[in-house]
Amino acid sequence: MSRIGVFVCWCGSNIAGTVDVKKLTEEAAKIPGVVEAVDYKYMCSDPGQNSLRNMIREKNLTGVVLAACSPHMHENTFRKAAVKEGLNPYFVEIANIREQVSWVHEDKERATYKAMDLLKMMVEKVKRDRAIEDVRVPLTKRALVIGGGISGMQAALDIASGGVEVILVEKEPSIGGRMIQLDETFPTLDCSSCIMTPKMVEVSQHPNIKLYTYSEVENVSGYIGNFNVKIKKMTKSVVEKDCTGCGDCWNACPMHKNVKSEFNINLSERTAIYVPFPQAVPLVPVIDRAACLHFKKGGKCVKCYEVCGPKCIDFTIQDEIIEEKVGAIVAATGFDLMDNSLYGEYGYGKYKDVISGLQFERLLSASGPTEGVIKRPSDGKTPQTIVFIQCVGSRDPEKGVPYCSKVCCMYTAKHAKLFSHKVHGSQSYVFYIDIRATGKGYEEFIRDTIEKDGVVYLRGRVSKIYQDRDKLIIRGADTLSGNQVEIAADMVVLATGVIPKKGSDKIAQMLGISYDKYGFFTESHPKLRPAESSTAGIYLAGMAQGPRDIPESVVSGSAAASKILGLFSKSEYEVEGTIAGVNKTTCVGCFYCQRVCAYSAISKEEIKDRNGNVIKVVANVNPGLCTGCGACVNACFSKSIDVKGYMDDQIYAEIRSLAI
Amino acid sequence: MNKNKIDEKLQKTAKGLLESKAVNVVIGWTKGSNPFRMRPVFITKPEDVNKLYFNPHCVQDLAVFLKKPEVKKFGRTGIVVKGCDEKALNTLIQEYQVLRDELKIIGVECMGVIRQNIADKGESNLLETTVYDKCLICDVHTPLIYDYLVESDIPEIKISGSVKPYAKIKELDSMLVEGRDKFWQKEFDKCIKCYACRQVCPLCYCSRCIVEKNMPQWIDTNIEETGNAQWNMIRAYHLSGRCIGCGECERACPVNIPLMLINEKMARDIYEKFGYRSGIDINSKPVFGTFSESDFNEFIK
Repeated sequence: MSRIGVFVCWCGSNIAGTVDVKKLTEEAAKIPGVVEAVDYKYMCSDPGQNSLRNMIREKNLTGVVLAACSPHMHENTFRKAAVKEGLNPYFVEIANIREQVSWVHEDKERATYKAMDLLKMMVEKVKRDRAIEDVRVPLTKRALVIGGGISGMQAALDIASGGVEVILVEKEPSIGGRMIQLDETFPTLDCSSCIMTPKMVEVSQHPNIKLYTYSEVENVSGYIGNFNVKIKKMTKSVVEKDCTGCGDCWNACPMHKNVKSEFNINLSERTAIYVPFPQAVPLVPVIDRAACLHFKKGGKCVKCYEVCGPKCIDFTIQDEIIEEKVGAIVAATGFDLMDNSLYGEYGYGKYKDVISGLQFERLLSASGPTEGVIKRPSDGKTPQTIVFIQCVGSRDPEKGVPYCSKVCCMYTAKHAKLFSHKVHGSQSYVFYIDIRATGKGYEEFIRDTIEKDGVVYLRGRVSKIYQDRDKLIIRGADTLSGNQVEIAADMVVLATGVIPKKGSDKIAQMLGISYDKYGFFTESHPKLRPAESSTAGIYLAGMAQGPRDIPESVVSGSAAASKILGLFSKSEYEVEGTIAGVNKTTCVGCFYCQRVCAYSAISKEEIKDRNGNVIKVVANVNPGLCTGCGACVNACFSKSIDVKGYMDDQIYAEIRSLAI
Repeated sequence: MNKNKIDEKLQKTAKGLLESKAVNVVIGWTKGSNPFRMRPVFITKPEDVNKLYFNPHCVQDLAVFLKKPEVKKFGRTGIVVKGCDEKALNTLIQEYQVLRDELKIIGVECMGVIRQNIADKGESNLLETTVYDKCLICDVHTPLIYDYLVESDIPEIKISGSVKPYAKIKELDSMLVEGRDKFWQKEFDKCIKCYACRQVCPLCYCSRCIVEKNMPQWIDTNIEETGNAQWNMIRAYHLSGRCIGCGECERACPVNIPLMLINEKMARDIYEKFGYRSGIDINSKPVFGTFSESDFNEFIK
């Protein structure tokens, strides 16, 4: 016999303002099986929870229904309270009369009617609830970090320092990511390489970090605590353990003017055997086989091999697939910049001296193609006037992306400032839409740039750039003065919008995590679970989630690490027991469930007789992988799958309750 | 019926299979209660193969027997199929109900089969006006997959266009929802819930049909309007993207509900919206269990 207690929450005036809570409570008391119905201003408060606990104890309740806010908010709160009184947590049901009623309706009478319907449904459901035990899955206490940029490195270091083994996979020949391409960093102007290289070395030397550079994650299967990862280690054509990084090979390579340097964003050339930059970690060159004469001309050129002291160059090494088992994953795949050539009016690609912000970083950098002397690409002259254009691609729903790329206001100010420091008597102009400088010390930095460095900020867009002899003429609007402006400059720097790393959508699909329409990975909850992906055991860090600056990227890497260390602090992982179960008697093994399962949770199980003969093959649910989403339930023709807590008879009773 | 080339080759193939123990049973057609009726037969001994025949009265889709436990226990099975029936085999293979390796497919070339109600009146000529609608739109006179093929010397039917197959679909499409609703309500009213449609369907292989699920009983079992519509619609949905159009449900229906209108309409919609045709490729992914970003989604408002 069911003994149900009903609790109607006012949520202050949030619910009580639109729903007649008194009437709802009165009506609820009349539903068969309901022992008592009460209302209270804030059920989630301590007194509210205590009244729930008291009623469970005093009235010997078999189930509880709360008419309150979304279960997302307080289901756990009330379940915990019920558990303290010895009730199975799954005997607590919530009718969401806030998000689904009071916040979306105005007519009090009809809202109350709907609230009553939702409440009735939950009473019928709770009557048919069964006790559910949570599932425990074992944990492989190792982590995989995808991406060796600053956020991935931070995550790896923090996890490793917590005593957990980490596998760090980086696509490029060196770790360091985008940050190592930068010159000085805002707003403190500390040199990126100076703060980055010690960290890179720390990563490579940490006893708990296994580093795979020039490698890609090719496949991920499994589930939280039990992922199987396949890593494709692209061949470097160099025996890493023997290489000393002396540089004899790349100095000997005859292909020294043929390939544009990716690291310097086409501002310089590199050899076929190369390290992307002198401080690369590991300091081991790779042979770019598409550019190498040895591979292009049938093995004739062996210059690098000849000069190599330890003879560690081996043209025969092939790509290798490495399999690793891990319990958690951090996706820190980083970002790219938008294609500037979308903006024909700015002449990117057409005029050599129109460059991107990241290219300007390389021009500023002491390890860059010009060794830190600002020289314009066309003729190598030092520019005296530079025009910076912000929001190229960002905040432009028509041609670019509608979001703000967040870092451009700051790095443009930094560029203008560094330019004025390096080229005395020079002049910068910045075209902007708004200045967004919300970080610590950021606004001061911008003011300083304007006031001390004399950078002229013009609020408006640039309409056209064209070449006039050795000058670039920039035409734009200054919307504050209402004037058209025309500036003759030596160079133009575009603050290009940030987009997710190319191929990150494929990584998301492989990991089974969700991503937004731009391709940025989506958080499990935008505010309260910002480090977690939509899939258990997979965490997010850095720009792969959206535009952010260096401190935020570092914080996000640490956040992911702390989540993983927290996960690994237990011996097993508990999964909610509301997972799918198969009726193996009626299952006919058509495996449509397997086809529709987004989590690869369904496998084939052979049912055998006592002599070991296979009688039939049926579906089997892996509790570690199942999220209880119910896709399989819908796909099953014979209704042989149910999700615990949402059993067929419960759904049916809920629907029936509306007809009575 | 004189022994002709078709029957000869059919019988020889079956005999070879049974003698070599490649199969334990051959499912085929044999003569029925009158010259215009053929019936299924299960041959287990090589000496019985002369019971096997094929002619335009072989209407049954024999693939339906593969789901029966009493047939399954034979293990390796030989089966005689027309092109349309063979598509059912393909779907059964796709849906893991039959193992391709356990099956020897004896395909027969078929130019059409004569509608049973007409045949019962003594008709045995293959004409545009005597065959099923499915035969008029058939593009698998030769089965898509077979281990052995029995060629036919029967000429193709001359199609003048005087018979418009499934013409009613167009008419129903042009109606307002209310009109269509009324049409089907009237048709489903006739249903007596005998489930012959299900029993004869090669793809209705669930050992417990949804209609037999009680606690809760989602579909009313009584023969009344709501339950009848529920049953016929749920069957249609369960076959969407799966039905291969053999037409057995309509043939078996004792109250003549034009079920093929539903099946054919579904098949057309599935092809139009998802570019998928069932029973064509055993390696393709069934549309019902596949998600693609390019799927049409106009229904999400």
